Amino acid sequence: MSAVLLIEDDDRIRLSLAMALEDEGYVTHAVATAEEGLELQRKQPADAVLVDLMLPGMDGFECIRQLRRTDDVPVIVVSARDDTHDIVAGLEAGADDYVVKPVAVKELAARLRALRRRGRAAQAATPAMTVLTFGDLEIRPEAGEVRLHGEPVAVTRTEFRLLCELAEHPGQVLSRQQLLSRVWEYEIGDERLVDVHVGRLRHKIEDNTGRPRHLVTVRGLGYKLQP
Amino acid sequence: MRRAGLRTRVSAAFAIGALALSACVTFVSYELISNTLFRERERAAVRATYFDATVINAGLTGRPKVGDLLQSLDIGADRYVLLSWRGEWFSRTAGAPAESAVPGKLQELAATGEAGAQRIRRDGEAALVVAVPVQGEAVFYEIVSLGELERTLQLLALVLTAVAIMVSAGGAAVGWYVTRHALRPLAAVAEAASGIADGDLDTRLDPDAEPELGRLTASFNHMADELSRRLQRDRRFAADVSHELRSPLQTLAAAVSVLNRRRDSLDERSAAAVGLIADEVARFQSLVDDLLELARSDQPVHREPADIGLLAGRVLRDRGLPGDLLEVVPGTPVDWHVDRRRVEQALGNLVDNAVRYGGGPVAVRVGPGFLEVDDAGPGVPAESRSTIFDRFVRGPAANSRGGGDGTGLGLAIVAEHAAAHDGRIVLLDRPGGGARFRLELPDE
Repeated sequence: MSAVLLIEDDDRIRLSLAMALEDEGYVTHAVATAEEGLELQRKQPADAVLVDLMLPGMDGFECIRQLRRTDDVPVIVVSARDDTHDIVAGLEAGADDYVVKPVAVKELAARLRALRRRGRAAQAATPAMTVLTFGDLEIRPEAGEVRLHGEPVAVTRTEFRLLCELAEHPGQVLSRQQLLSRVWEYEIGDERLVDVHVGRLRHKIEDNTGRPRHLVTVRGLGYKLQP
Repeated sequence: MRRAGLRTRVSAAFAIGALALSACVTFVSYELISNTLFRERERAAVRATYFDATVINAGLTGRPKVGDLLQSLDIGADRYVLLSWRGEWFSRTAGAPAESAVPGKLQELAATGEAGAQRIRRDGEAALVVAVPVQGEAVFYEIVSLGELERTLQLLALVLTAVAIMVSAGGAAVGWYVTRHALRPLAAVAEAASGIADGDLDTRLDPDAEPELGRLTASFNHMADELSRRLQRDRRFAADVSHELRSPLQTLAAAVSVLNRRRDSLDERSAAAVGLIADEVARFQSLVDDLLELARSDQPVHREPADIGLLAGRVLRDRGLPGDLLEVVPGTPVDWHVDRRRVEQALGNLVDNAVRYGGGPVAVRVGPGFLEVDDAGPGVPAESRSTIFDRFVRGPAANSRGGGDGTGLGLAIVAEHAAAHDGRIVLLDRPGGGARFRLELPDE
């Protein structure tokens, strides 16, 4: 049984989603505020976090940022807001995915499964076998490790999956749709998801994010990783 | 008839004004100059004639040879002398019947012993005849040609006319130039207005640039502020509505899924009711999505290269339709510069429309700059054609399987997406029956 932390201030939504998620086989910890959620995650870590953006007190963005300081748990934003600004801001704060209310519970369960598969793939930590090297950037897919100039870099599981996907095809351009289906298991998805994650990765592995050296954009096609 | 532009009218007024003014000046100066010159010339001629008359007067005493006497006068080429003496006419050249040149009135005047002068035309030129009675019955005449003077004046008239024309052309040019300067602030207004129309709501006019247009600038900026405030309010409203409608829908969706899972343990009537609620929740959800899509359809398109064949294939696949419905017209470019999400939604709506009301799509065609969806239905009756792209207009469902009918907004959204791309949606007849919807998307 895997546990899900649900942070949602609307009582009715919280109650109904918790019931529906339990039907899908999740143990659900449902709380109404970001503060309670962070507290609970510290004491009793869940395998995934669902968070609303509009919360009383600390908002969802700040909640994700605080969570990300210590935790690489998969985070899905579940919000009624669907303008680009909110979606991008939520992802930039560190969320792995973004779904707009009303979301079908089956769809939400599918998203959670996809994220957890990603998590498990990265966690299957048999001793480091493969090392993929791109200049001063080292990626160990089995160990779930990324090193820049020999120093370990903290990346979330989704960022790691994205990096591995690109690293396994060195110098090859992968389109946003390809990355969406391979990393997020989306048949059709929002390409902003890829763009924001690439942006977050660049902050961690590039010396100059304005002129990336490793993770480069190929205009109109997609992204590729190079030494 | 279309009214001429402001610049044309102002330039024409300048030209006409300049022409009138210069024509007046030209006319007055020509008259002054020509009168002065003629008077000067006449005075000189009269003086010369009196001088010659004195010579003749002296020579006529005794028995002179009149021809020799006339020959002795010192005259230029443009003067002609005559002497009427004792009923006979004498001139310097023999046999020239020049007396006919002297008007009868002048002869009569001279016969009474008065001197006089009269202007005549001789051999097509202006000339002056001066008559001076000398001793006895004799009258001395001099005919002075004014041809030279006339030619000079003709040249002057020509020059003055040319100047008048040039001045009026200059007036037109000044008018054109001045209006350009005067209209420049208006051009700035026009540019700002079209900027706002294109969605750049931060466009404002500089209130200090043109003090004369202060009121226009102030009203324009006020209008722009008001417009941008209203648009912001509309957008906020759409976002609020979105939030307020979507939150309860989330509860409904989750609660219905809980109920659905326990359908088997419900009695038949309750299970049927749960099914109805589930369908209506789904429909309500699409209605909210479609309404929000329409509310935001005026936002600018986000163009990027998109593989249109791939996109059309995905639309069919998502709806469980066979991929071989897709036809790509040879010569169609692979990548289109369009808003992928909106084109995908528009094509999806056309296909859904064909499924719901047209007996299913028989072909989805991708051609240069257009997408077409052909259906197997009876075609669209003439009376529905003008309203088919309006909101909340539904056709008679040809096929009512599945979860209820549509929102009635699908084709309206297609029309909005087409317009956002500067394209359009056209309803045609498919050869062999059925409807053909053609979505035209011009490349930027």
